[in-house]
Amino acid sequence: MSRSLAAASALLALTCACGRPDQITVRRVPKEQIVQPPMGMAMGGAPAPEGAPEGSSAPGVHWIAPKGWKEGPGGAMQVAVLVPPPAHGRAQASVSAFPGDVGGELANVNRWRGQVGLPALADSDLAGVRHKLSCALGPVLVYDFTGSGDQGPARVVAATISAGGKTWFFKLDGDPAAVAADKPAFLRMLEGLTSDAS
Amino acid sequence: MRRDASPSGRILRALSSLTLTIVGLALLMILVAVCTLLQVSMGTHRAVEAVIRTGLVWWTSPGGTRIPVFPGGGLVGGVLLVNLVFAQFLRLELSWRKAGMWMAHLGLALLFVGEFATALMQVESQMPVEIGQTRDYSEDARRVELDAVDATSPDGDTVTAIPDSFLKPGAEIAHPSLPFTLAVREFYRNSSFRMRRPDDPPSPATAGVGPRIFVREAPEVGSDDEQNVPAVLVDARRGGEDLGSFWLSPGMGAPQGLELDGKTWRFWLRPRRYYLPFSLTLKEFHHDVYPGTDIPKNFSSLVRLDDPAAHEDRDARIYMNHPLRYAGLTFYQASFGRGDRLSVFQVVRNPGWRIPYLACALVALGLLWHFALKLSASLKGVR
Repeated sequence: MSRSLAAASALLALTCACGRPDQITVRRVPKEQIVQPPMGMAMGGAPAPEGAPEGSSAPGVHWIAPKGWKEGPGGAMQVAVLVPPPAHGRAQASVSAFPGDVGGELANVNRWRGQVGLPALADSDLAGVRHKLSCALGPVLVYDFTGSGDQGPARVVAATISAGGKTWFFKLDGDPAAVAADKPAFLRMLEGLTSDAS
Repeated sequence: MRRDASPSGRILRALSSLTLTIVGLALLMILVAVCTLLQVSMGTHRAVEAVIRTGLVWWTSPGGTRIPVFPGGGLVGGVLLVNLVFAQFLRLELSWRKAGMWMAHLGLALLFVGEFATALMQVESQMPVEIGQTRDYSEDARRVELDAVDATSPDGDTVTAIPDSFLKPGAEIAHPSLPFTLAVREFYRNSSFRMRRPDDPPSPATAGVGPRIFVREAPEVGSDDEQNVPAVLVDARRGGEDLGSFWLSPGMGAPQGLELDGKTWRFWLRPRRYYLPFSLTLKEFHHDVYPGTDIPKNFSSLVRLDDPAAHEDRDARIYMNHPLRYAGLTFYQASFGRGDRLSVFQVVRNPGWRIPYLACALVALGLLWHFALKLSASLKGVR
């Protein structure tokens, strides 16, 4: 019996594993710089450096902003904002990413059309407005709509690409003339998308 | 040896039996095979958690009912540990002649203990850091915390970090550091969201970006190249005063929060942070390939380690199979990105990391001792 007791004691000693219950903690940290983490991807990504010279990326996708375009962190629900030179008028590009298919192609197309005052399309109309580019990550679907927004004529060039289970949105919108002038550089940027290999 | 026929005697015999050992080892082999196969669909971490680091392996029926279908690694390992200890004490002779076997068995028991210690105490996190950037915290991408940040002072922020284990629907979170309570209405381990459409039902959120987006729960993902995007819906209240309802998610980049009594509060749901008493600055990152190919040859990071309290200020190089060990933490070169400007370290805190080394040394010494005695006896017999 003494051996049994010894065995039980040894087990008790060995199973002293103690749980670590979670606790609410309070800590003082240096002032945080507010940088928008990438939509749907911000688990551990570091903020983009200011004035990144060679391109920018969020986990999954890497892009190189066209020469002369200024890039900064996005606003709500955006990964980044790119602003072309103002020489051609008002235009702005943005990058965002959402998990899943974000409601599907038709919903996205009609949202962009609604932003420039165009009526919604039916599913059967999509093939007529869809253009395809290719990049290292696969096909990029591009849509180009011109209409009349809240502040007058407006044009939006929007592109989507699926990468890593997310849908990435690249959108250039603004005055039709400015968007027309900036579109070639925008499309070249899309064709140069690569994986942010890690 | 007289057999104890009493019930307790039979139980002790069963606990120390070789049959139990064989059954336990067979079950472990099955578990390892199943875990290996499941890693394809579930990812390494989730498969290990579901099969090895659990008491029971559960199957979830299409109706959502969880049914235990197999003993898990924790239970089998525990039974084997009990079996080993009882066999040791009940069957093994306590003498110098058997000292080697005692030592070897103690080493085996320590191996089990080491695995339990790792399962219970090891904390893994990541530290992504860009060239020129300094970091003093790491993040656990598999867990999140709700941070309520008092960002009023220009000198620094006060962060009240609420671990995700508190984020259960219906929970009301109060803390002396917060002048309000946070009531959890929804918590999704994974979610998807999009801009709201006119035909969507009214948003439950009333503040921040929440009213503009439509959030849905999504099935959890676990494979190594996928990531969950958790989301929580919280109501901020003070007494009977409604301060707003917020959808928070690491996927929503916008800072959200409220102004209250002249103070600025920000809310984040973000990867759980572990602050360090020192900082690392990434000075260089090298991604070497074999000449003429894209095949990686080596990844290495040169970091500056700065720990003012310990008067430590030095460079360290971290590369494959050559981690930096400091202050109980191990920093492994784990990943990279952003055109080779970003280096990602796996940060591991495992207080029991020495146990397997000690266990193996004990087993080796014990077997050496035992076989040396046997050899010696055998040689004497030959003479």
